[in-house]
Amino acid sequence: MANRSRQQKKSVLVISLFLILVLALAGCSTSKPDASASGSPSQSEPASTEGASTQPAAGGTFTYARAASVTSFDLHNQITANNAFAIDKVFEPLVAFDNEGKLVDWLAASHEISSDGLTYTFVLRDGLKFSNGTDVTAQDAVFSLQRHLDVGGPLAISAKVDSLTAQDNKTLVIKLQTPYTPFITELSNFSNGILPKDFGGKTEEEFFKNPIGTGPFVVKSWDPAGDLTFEKNTHYWQQGKPYLDELVYKLVNDDSQAINQLKAGEVDAIETVALQNASELKQGSDTTVATNGSWVTEQLFLNTLDEHFSDVHVRRALALSIDREGLTNAVTFGLAKAATSLLPPAIPYNANDTVKSLTFNTEEAKAELAKSKFPNGFSTTLLIASGNSSRAQEAQIIQAAGKAIGIDIKIESVELAAFRERFFKYNFSAMINSGQADSPEANSILAFQTDPDGFSKSYWTHYTNDEVTKLLREGQQTPDGDGRAQIYTKLQQILADEVPYIPLFYPEILIGVRSNVQGLVVLPNNSVRFQDVQLKGE
Amino acid sequence: MTLTSNSVFHKIIRSTATIASPRRWLVRALLRAASVIVCVVTAVFFLIRLVPGDPVKMILGEYATAAAIEKMQHKLGLDLTPWEQFLRFLNNLLVHGDTGSSIVYEASSRQLIFDRIPVTLLLIAMACILSIVISMVLAILAATHKNGILDHLIRILPAVTLGMPVFWVGLLLILIFSVHLGWFPVGGVTGKGFEKTLYSLTLPAITVAFSQIPSLVRSLRAQMLEVLESDFVVTLKAAGIPRRVVLVKHVLRNSALPALMLLGVNMAYMMGGTLVVEKAFGLRGIGSLLFQSISNRDFPVIQGIAFYSALFVVIVGLLVEIIAGVLDPRTKGES
Repeated sequence: MANRSRQQKKSVLVISLFLILVLALAGCSTSKPDASASGSPSQSEPASTEGASTQPAAGGTFTYARAASVTSFDLHNQITANNAFAIDKVFEPLVAFDNEGKLVDWLAASHEISSDGLTYTFVLRDGLKFSNGTDVTAQDAVFSLQRHLDVGGPLAISAKVDSLTAQDNKTLVIKLQTPYTPFITELSNFSNGILPKDFGGKTEEEFFKNPIGTGPFVVKSWDPAGDLTFEKNTHYWQQGKPYLDELVYKLVNDDSQAINQLKAGEVDAIETVALQNASELKQGSDTTVATNGSWVTEQLFLNTLDEHFSDVHVRRALALSIDREGLTNAVTFGLAKAATSLLPPAIPYNANDTVKSLTFNTEEAKAELAKSKFPNGFSTTLLIASGNSSRAQEAQIIQAAGKAIGIDIKIESVELAAFRERFFKYNFSAMINSGQADSPEANSILAFQTDPDGFSKSYWTHYTNDEVTKLLREGQQTPDGDGRAQIYTKLQQILADEVPYIPLFYPEILIGVRSNVQGLVVLPNNSVRFQDVQLKGE
Repeated sequence: MTLTSNSVFHKIIRSTATIASPRRWLVRALLRAASVIVCVVTAVFFLIRLVPGDPVKMILGEYATAAAIEKMQHKLGLDLTPWEQFLRFLNNLLVHGDTGSSIVYEASSRQLIFDRIPVTLLLIAMACILSIVISMVLAILAATHKNGILDHLIRILPAVTLGMPVFWVGLLLILIFSVHLGWFPVGGVTGKGFEKTLYSLTLPAITVAFSQIPSLVRSLRAQMLEVLESDFVVTLKAAGIPRRVVLVKHVLRNSALPALMLLGVNMAYMMGGTLVVEKAFGLRGIGSLLFQSISNRDFPVIQGIAFYSALFVVIVGLLVEIIAGVLDPRTKGES
């Protein structure tokens, strides 16, 4: 009898232990909403996406799946796309670019550049207001640009600015020390957005947690490691816009998750579509792909400090051995144009049609290699970042091309963080990466990839050519027009002949979208404008 | 000591006293737990720094100037020697109980981790309950139909599912039940409230359970067969006690121990396995945070996750030992 009761007690004990465990776990979970409610506003719950697609045309919530969360709104200290494309919803520059990359007045009603290229005068639009309802003045613009000059940051103003003056409430005058033609276009960078003077009376930290700008959207709730919810800016200067009530940036950091959520209608658009998934989305009845030409050039970079690739004949031989047309079609399923010169077609002064590049010819490639210090070929390695199947494919095609002329290429695939570490130290022979412009300005890519005095040392190829450097400087000071075009064509021809990098193709931007979405504007920098977006009922 | 007044505690201590003294057992267990945690935390601290890659370059991108990189490295204390960083880290952990501020999110890593713990724990708990229930049913069916068709089926199926990668199972479940049938959300936890959370975690929990069930069923079945043939079961049957009672109350209970130990060990694997499952299902748990943090080289968060995961695994280990002591009939003789 005693034995039996002990046994019963033991079963009770086991069960109660188990229950305690379950309750403890359940307790953890139910307490979550409370915890976030009492926490800071940045810790709020992700918004529900239910019913997003059944909303009427005006209003509604648009959910945009992105692979990385927004971690900061400090426009002067940020550069990566995850932050840049959230910052540009809140802060807007004086001038901007449209979906074709053409420069247009944005917060400025008009702008004027003096004939000596030194004085820039901007007149602000009438009735411009920040999202908190206060007027935008020229003093705000002076403050914003001055902070950018002071901070420097990863996308610094490269013009030598002499003075910033608010001539009156609506007129801003910028004086430069020396002419610098790219300046007006570079002002369209998201980092030149306008914010209230003195951060609207708040501290820097407070301000960027709850940023106030002129953009179409205002931050409603934000988890730096999760989702971001915007609501419409009711003071937006484009009358009646945005049509949406809310815009949610939903963190989905897995490609197949993103595709499946789009197909199931849990999100309205996805920021990244892998090339191999594009046709599936295009053919789907509920989904489509929005495209635009990008400001990106996919390239094979050759380290000119490397014992083999320091020889121009070796570089030319490798360029001649690669069938860029074939590579482009194989890798991108026809969703990109093969490249012959450095600048993508969406950038002014591109010379894809005029530059004579080294076109695929194995015999010529062999002859070129024979002229080099390594006529019998050699072994080298090609560095790529892992996790990008297109790049892996490109590497294999290049490997086969090299083999045909006696260059034995080993592919070394390392994780992105390690990849960056390697090329920042010039610790590579060849690598595949892409060059990208931030604004529709030839100098943007050219300076980064040819300036031997810049910190990137010609995109870590260490390529130096005095003629190229001279042309680069001339191009920066020559006013827009035929003269500038000639300089850049000449420069690109030299690059095509000496090939410190082999341009492979110009990728298209691919944004996966639900079919009921209208008015989405895909910009060539891969950002998206949402102010015209409307959701039609399905 | 008030051990006698607290009968439940007394019972636990007594039941776990496979070694003569309960106090010695407790001290030993705690020492063992502490050494595991110290080893894990130290190893992770230095290993993550041995891996090439720099958090600063991940934040500032490829276009950052050398000056900007240096400034940020100094701000984050990454220009110190590894030993100085380790001392700073230990100090932070011991004094503030925090593993430092996240480099990428500029928030307390403890807060980031605690925000994500509920989803992961709930996922593991659901997966455990599912595995236990399904394994018990399958094992009983197999053991009572020894060498029948049902038994063979139940023995073959686990072999098949063991061979399927977890993320692939997850992807299949998403395609069938979410994209085509629309029964469950494709990913993430949609909606607020406990029921919504449970509902959203159904497919992920099934996916995790899938990887656990095969070994549990095998172990439970083998043990049950052994017990079924033992003398006391024969006696019970002969005494006319209903078959169901014999099976559940005596056979299952006496066979559960090895499976329970297995589940306890597997808990550590599950913690690691959630990394894949959470990514496949877009869940914001510890696993996906770890994945992101490793990609970004967010050292403080990685260290924090290692610390709390080690703590969790150690606690589960202790609990399993306690429950095993309760279940193990041999402890009866010593009490």
